[in-house]
Amino acid sequence: MFSIVSKLRPNSSFFSLTKTFISERNYAARKGTRERKQKKKTKKEVEVKAKFIPHNQRNKDALLAARPILKVDDSARPLPFDDVYIMKYYRWKVYPFHEAVESHRQTHHPDMYNEPNSNLLARIELNMQGEKVTRFVEDFSRIAAIPHKFEHGDERAIIAFSKTASVRQEALDAGAQLAGGVDLIKQIQNGGVSLQNFQYIIAHPDILPELVPLRGVMKRRFPNPKMGTLAVDLTGVTERLLHGISYSAKKDEHEKDFGLVEAVVGTLDMDSRCLEENFAALVQDVYRMKPKREGTFISRCLLVSPPSSEKFKVDHELYIEVKDDNTQKDVEDDGEGERVAL
Amino acid sequence: MWKSLIRTITPLSKTTNCLLSAETSIQQQLRTTFILKRRINPPLSKKGGPPKKLRTRNYLYELVKDTNCDKQANIDLILTSYVDGLGNVGDRVSVKSYQAYDQLLLPGLAVYATPENLEKYKDVEVKDMKVYSSSTALGVMQVLSKITLSVVMNKDSPWTIQPWHISASFRKCCYMVPEYAISIPEKPIKGPNLDIEGKEFYITVTINKTEQFKVRCRIHHWSTNIRERLPYEEGFWKVPGELLFPEDEEIAKAQSQNK
Repeated sequence: MFSIVSKLRPNSSFFSLTKTFISERNYAARKGTRERKQKKKTKKEVEVKAKFIPHNQRNKDALLAARPILKVDDSARPLPFDDVYIMKYYRWKVYPFHEAVESHRQTHHPDMYNEPNSNLLARIELNMQGEKVTRFVEDFSRIAAIPHKFEHGDERAIIAFSKTASVRQEALDAGAQLAGGVDLIKQIQNGGVSLQNFQYIIAHPDILPELVPLRGVMKRRFPNPKMGTLAVDLTGVTERLLHGISYSAKKDEHEKDFGLVEAVVGTLDMDSRCLEENFAALVQDVYRMKPKREGTFISRCLLVSPPSSEKFKVDHELYIEVKDDNTQKDVEDDGEGERVAL
Repeated sequence: MWKSLIRTITPLSKTTNCLLSAETSIQQQLRTTFILKRRINPPLSKKGGPPKKLRTRNYLYELVKDTNCDKQANIDLILTSYVDGLGNVGDRVSVKSYQAYDQLLLPGLAVYATPENLEKYKDVEVKDMKVYSSSTALGVMQVLSKITLSVVMNKDSPWTIQPWHISASFRKCCYMVPEYAISIPEKPIKGPNLDIEGKEFYITVTINKTEQFKVRCRIHHWSTNIRERLPYEEGFWKVPGELLFPEDEEIAKAQSQNK
């Protein structure tokens, strides 16, 4: 007699009658269950396919690290001794505004480059470090109001909302393309007027509740006091948005505490005083975004005028009104008090 | 045979080496000073009495200063000849030790600023020595005498070369040369004239309103319209161009000799 090892089946009485067997207790799960469980346990290693990187973009981190630092600090360099000198060995000359403009006018003169109407740009370099060392100021885009307008070449269509007709008329006189009240809101909802055609949306606070339904359409452009688009005086706002200097401060992707603003303050054929006042207004507007920490926000200001590659350093601090800080500094107790046994 | 020879020679060479290398075997003093402070004060003893024995605890010290970590002090010198970047004859200078020994004292360009030397070099009258207006004047003169300054003028509108054109051209190359320091040739250079394109002339630059030197300038015509621009000549400053005025040949010869 040989023992038959057979699977024990629940109703296998037939088997028990005919043969003697040694049953093997098999508690295996249903077929495939173990494999399924094992697959869940093992971590899936996703194979990253090696992308083709062109030769001049390989080792990008190393390239960025090797790049010279954008924050230029020449305070360690000496001041020039002679009247004729090689500029690279000494500290940058700080030009009075008028002299910088005149120097640009020299190179753009009809005798030389022959571009006397070229734009004058202010290149403002910022220290974007925030209140904490590792946090940085966010990139911002603003429009600075300037005293002397010039052609900026941007398309700026403004739509104004207000319940009172006088306010609407003011906005239209100032230069807004379209002004309306509740009926204009209905037109937009119907589709008669498209908000896509307008770059800026301004409103008087009285019409704000009626404007809320359009929030989804406007999204980022919804009038708010922080951006200056929700205000009582719509003429001032319209003038600023139409004629002001539109600029944006952007952090460098690698050197995150360095921010740059490049904005046109006028043209070289404008009067120097007008250019200076425009520049002052721009600097003051940029300074308003200063973070609450010690140290300078604007590291330096340069005046540039294409096609020339010359940069003339200008003292921006002349145009910033520094308020006397009489407020007490809050000194945090860094555990210097009595030690309390816990 | 050779092996026995080597055996006799090597001990001899060793002794001669010893004799010749006497200088290297001189022991230099160790110039190290560590300033220490006792942690536990030694016991006081009675007046006139014998000093009390120091215990082990009195030999515990705290390091106050390690003089090796100090910055090396500069050496004060008096210059006996003009040194570019430092000063004129008779100037008192303070430099690092390496520069002082290697570049000034050894070649005899300076002496130590001892009280005796200060008296000696107080009222030194410079006769045959070259004195420059400032410590950096000579360096500037040497650099600017070698360059060929490109003066970019317009190809379409009429012009006559003025000192401010040259000053602006210097400024574009990162050389600060004010207008009053430049003197242009007497003969007016007018344009636009493509016959004078690429031709060179000399101007005189006055540094600190005292020293004068010549700078070679080259005229380039530039058009505002990209399509009308003349092709760029790579390395135009390496090969001297034709001179605008034949009288400048002498100046060119003198400059090339100085080089």
